[in-house]
Amino acid sequence: MNRTLLALFFVAIGLVDTQAAVQHDHVDRAPQQGREKKWQDSLAKPSLAVTATFDESGKLWLASIRDHHVYVSYSDDHGVTRSAPVKVNAESENILGDGENRPKIIVRKGVIYVSYTQGLAKPMSGDIRFSRSTDGGKSFSAPITVNDNREIISHRFDSMMVNDKGHVYIAWLDKRDLSAAQKKGEKFSGASVYYAMSENGGISFRSNVKIADHVCECCRTAMAVDTDDYPVVVWRHIYDANIRDHALAKLDGRMAPVRLSQENWNVAGCPHHGPSLSIASDGIYHAAWFSNAPERHGLFYAHSADQGRTFSSPLNFGNFEAQPARPYVFSLGDRVYLVWKEFDGENTGIFGMHSGDGGKSWSVPEKLASTSDVSDWPMLISENNLAYLSWNTKNEGYRLIEMGVKNK
Amino acid sequence: MRRPGFLAGLCLTVLSLIPSATLAAQEIRPFVRGSYQQIVSARQGKPFVINFWSLSCGYCKVELSMFKELVRKYPQLDLVVVSTDAYEEMESVSGTLEIFSLGKSETWLFADSNTDRLRFEIDKRWYGELPRTYFFGADGKTGAFSGKLEQKDVEQWIKEQYGLR
Repeated sequence: MNRTLLALFFVAIGLVDTQAAVQHDHVDRAPQQGREKKWQDSLAKPSLAVTATFDESGKLWLASIRDHHVYVSYSDDHGVTRSAPVKVNAESENILGDGENRPKIIVRKGVIYVSYTQGLAKPMSGDIRFSRSTDGGKSFSAPITVNDNREIISHRFDSMMVNDKGHVYIAWLDKRDLSAAQKKGEKFSGASVYYAMSENGGISFRSNVKIADHVCECCRTAMAVDTDDYPVVVWRHIYDANIRDHALAKLDGRMAPVRLSQENWNVAGCPHHGPSLSIASDGIYHAAWFSNAPERHGLFYAHSADQGRTFSSPLNFGNFEAQPARPYVFSLGDRVYLVWKEFDGENTGIFGMHSGDGGKSWSVPEKLASTSDVSDWPMLISENNLAYLSWNTKNEGYRLIEMGVKNK
Repeated sequence: MRRPGFLAGLCLTVLSLIPSATLAAQEIRPFVRGSYQQIVSARQGKPFVINFWSLSCGYCKVELSMFKELVRKYPQLDLVVVSTDAYEEMESVSGTLEIFSLGKSETWLFADSNTDRLRFEIDKRWYGELPRTYFFGADGKTGAFSGKLEQKDVEQWIKEQYGLR
């Protein structure tokens, strides 16, 4: 028997079956259900997102997503060996882990805090979920939904911080105001940014509070805690009709949102590229972001010495011909670090530079790591006053690389 | 399997069914390294538009419905639409394109999981924001735009390029 012919035959049958399925779908006139099923299927795609943090004892904690569950594991040797992963959500959920989405993990004073976004039935809809462990990661509390609006709409792109008092803050982008406007037949530009706070360490959250209306729909939020224990949130805002520059606000109930960036990027589209924020122990705010405005484009860094009211003239960094992306800023006192991705046509490199004077002057960019296939974005974490690059790649797996060894 | 002749005959019969079925559902080509150059060089000296979109981009759907109208109004418009979704999402992309029925427009779907590599070949200065549209004029002039386009601007370009008044 001609094996090639046989193989061809089955391939042909396969093709016809697919076509029949497509046409059947068409006849059924059920594109809505079809799209919803496909959204669900897309949620099941494997995720490269790994979020890491150190606890006070130097133990590295990692959160990742696999088969509809968030998993948490730890390492006592900087990631070389890891504990068996423990499920956060016992019940299977669609957990968003692509693009701007990833699980968040913070470990403070023996408590492990986890937040993530759960994809719902409709395309681009989600809920903000939270869980914690008080037994050293052996078990996690049943996840709770943090958004108190329960429409099947977008509540996504969460960021989380825990302050010294053990208050848990979660901010996210929320389309409830857009939904309300649409029901009244009114127009509403973009989404809104909301937050919720827990005073009891995450057992329950207080009512949701709106920070601002008219924010860019699909760029992640970022959060950092100020020296007075109040968190500061940064997001991509929509100014005027479609200027998508950044804004920030402190969640102290007194600060109105302030404009952080002024590139005037006029785009009716989805940049899928959110900002980064770090607040130093001396109270200096450090922010990094991306813009593709015709005149001012690429990656930017600026700092503020007056709690975000005014920022330094932005520093444009990265090689604009190499698609610099995913900037992440991190401070340890007056040392500040920036990492980002660049692509040379074949390989993705993680580049870094550092400042020893609170962001006033910077080292020459240096390539820290690279990979030849897809990868997560780079993040910075610290332990024992040292900064580390935390990066996951498809080919090499998870890597933890100490920053600034050569230039200390 | 004693009757290879019969099997071969059946195989040919089945294969012959494919072209019509494929045409009916609109062919979506795999966009790999070199595809962009292939699209552009096949159209040397002629005006055309390449539009990049994805399933997760709301503004892209609005723009696709604009193109749906434009390809009817201007049958001469040479439009190429490329989905930046994963190749595994072919069925979903195909279903969406059926809804927007873009006539004879060429349709493609990213078929390399390393989308950075594909984008680098298309335009080093494109960061993946969507929708992204490239206009190629007959005179060799090109324009790149991020975000939803204004219909009047696109119509003006079409009229200029195809000599319509």
